Amino acid sequence: MRISDYIEQACANLWRKKLRTFLTTSGVVIGIGALVCMFAFGQGIQRNITDQFNKLDLFNYVNVVARNSGGGLSSHDPDDPGAEMDNADVPPGQAKQDQPTLDARFLEEVTAIKGVIAAFPEMRFPAQIRLGDREEFTLVQVLSATASQSGLVPLRAGVAYVSDEPNELIISGLFLRRLGVKEPEMAIGREIEVATLTLDFSLGRLFRMAFPTGDQTLPLARESYRFKVVGVAQRMGFGGSMPVRSDVYIPPGAAARMHKLALTSIWDFFKPAGQAADYSMVSVKVASPKDVELVKKELESRGYRTFALMDQLQEMRTGFLIMDMFLIAVGMIGITVASLGIVNTMVMSILERYREIGIMKAVGATDGDVQRIFLFESGAIGLLGGLFGLFLAGVTSFVINEVINAFMARQGAPRMAYFNFPWWLCLGAVAFSILVSLLAGIYPTRRAARVDPVVALRHD
Amino acid sequence: MNRDDEAFIETTRLSKVYVVGEVEVTALRNVTLSVARGRLVGVTGASGSGKSTLMNLLGGLDTPSSGSIRVADRQISELSKRDLALYRRNTVGMIFQSFNLVNAYTALENVAFPLLFAGVAKRQRCDRAVELLNAVGLEARKDHRPTELSGGEQQRVAIARALVNEPQILLADEPTGNLDSGTSRQIVEILAELNRRRGLTIVMISHEQDLLREFAHEMIALQDGIVVVRKATADPN
Repeated sequence: MRISDYIEQACANLWRKKLRTFLTTSGVVIGIGALVCMFAFGQGIQRNITDQFNKLDLFNYVNVVARNSGGGLSSHDPDDPGAEMDNADVPPGQAKQDQPTLDARFLEEVTAIKGVIAAFPEMRFPAQIRLGDREEFTLVQVLSATASQSGLVPLRAGVAYVSDEPNELIISGLFLRRLGVKEPEMAIGREIEVATLTLDFSLGRLFRMAFPTGDQTLPLARESYRFKVVGVAQRMGFGGSMPVRSDVYIPPGAAARMHKLALTSIWDFFKPAGQAADYSMVSVKVASPKDVELVKKELESRGYRTFALMDQLQEMRTGFLIMDMFLIAVGMIGITVASLGIVNTMVMSILERYREIGIMKAVGATDGDVQRIFLFESGAIGLLGGLFGLFLAGVTSFVINEVINAFMARQGAPRMAYFNFPWWLCLGAVAFSILVSLLAGIYPTRRAARVDPVVALRHD
Repeated sequence: MNRDDEAFIETTRLSKVYVVGEVEVTALRNVTLSVARGRLVGVTGASGSGKSTLMNLLGGLDTPSSGSIRVADRQISELSKRDLALYRRNTVGMIFQSFNLVNAYTALENVAFPLLFAGVAKRQRCDRAVELLNAVGLEARKDHRPTELSGGEQQRVAIARALVNEPQILLADEPTGNLDSGTSRQIVEILAELNRRRGLTIVMISHEQDLLREFAHEMIALQDGIVVVRKATADPN
């Protein structure tokens, strides 16, 4: 028999039983649709994360902390014998004399390392941000004009500040909404009040501390500065360790003029005086991800602790794989049910056409011919199910994507494609659908091939 | 000896035993017979005498329990399942009492059906089927389905289908069993004509002994799986 005849026979036989073919194929369509949708969602999430990291050059960063730094990356780890040795002969709360520090000199030294493009410290301080009659608390990040213009902070409106000196700031769209501004463009050019905390050892304050009356007793005062909004930042799509993560960015010159307590946690109170002047962390930007390992080694040899997202990439990939496997497992439930439907349909078809099989054999069909005729029918169900399943997945994912984006837009998040349909997924889905259908057809078609023509020709 | 007188179909001590549950039923018992090329042989016998079993064995639809079948110098009883299928496809054409047409197909598609398995192209299948339907007088009914045809028309479609692969042997298992006497005669006449004109070797089972005797060269009577009578008739030609 010719291949074209098998195809024609399969189509004609399926067309003869339209309703049954429609119902069976619908099962495959739903199964494949669900599987593809879930897998495309997993792919979309992976693509968005890696794209965003790539877009923000996050794989090009190495975060550096001093070994005796109070928190974050260098927090005490009882399983790290190195950490114990580092601090073995140092009294608690006191840095070793020869411990490397993160200061202005370090910034100069690190930029001299081959492959390093820039280095900037993480400097953040708590502040009250007031716009009109609304006031919100946040941590303000100091970011150089060079860094702000590098695209590190993607903007929804306005521009990055061009100098390190003026009282200008970039604010996130989400934070603006908390301050009552829904349209980012409306905020450009407006003045915002940034209020910091300072120590207040005036007599009046000391008196109130000595004789507390129920209100504030700490020796703290508030100082206000006026800043002009020049840019509105997009919301960072995903979390993780990033070199910048704040709602408000100001240039270093303006920050230097402000009186403020640079406390980000209660532990900052217990830092030694000298160390308090250092940076808690420095972000080092390298030319390409290939330089990350070399720069890390160099810095670690100088006694610093480092962290790079590149290190996490393999773990992320493992995580993605587990997520994919989970989504596939859920999607396979539908496919399993659909394949049972195919088995049922094929068995029914063979029982109905029992006499026809006898006639086929009487006029010269081999067992293989009979088996292939039914296998092509089974495969045709798979092909149709795969194609329409792909279409269903496309429509469903489009609707879900629109709903998520509509919801996320209200949160100030940028528009994203949460589903990804790479060509291999589309082809693979159709091929998988055909494969599953063929596997489901093996038992019924073998049964058809084994039909005794003498018995079948007597069958009513 | 004339080549036409040589045994074209030959069975030797052919037996077929069916096992039904724990009971063995002997359908054919040591049947030895031969049919010369180009002969029309009539097979008669009561129900259960083994006629259809003999036909199924000669047609390669079934395999013997013992004995041998030789057709055109080939041992049919020793063929594999696949070779038996090829034998049915290329050497034998079969006609049945109940026509055994595929109801979903038109007369044309039914006639062309065996060519599908022979790998013949669609256009050639159609041309050949039209030619044969024309030969049996049914060209105008080619697009009709079996349910839209009379019994005689259905049997003529079945004859056309049996001839489509140009077989050497035609096996007819009670082809007139479901037909009235007038139509039965027409069908037997068509088969006799094929035998005369094309030299087709035909083995035909029928209860209508008189009709069969009128056209057959030779008559075989079966009883309880044994050949009880075998005799030549007056030459119908």
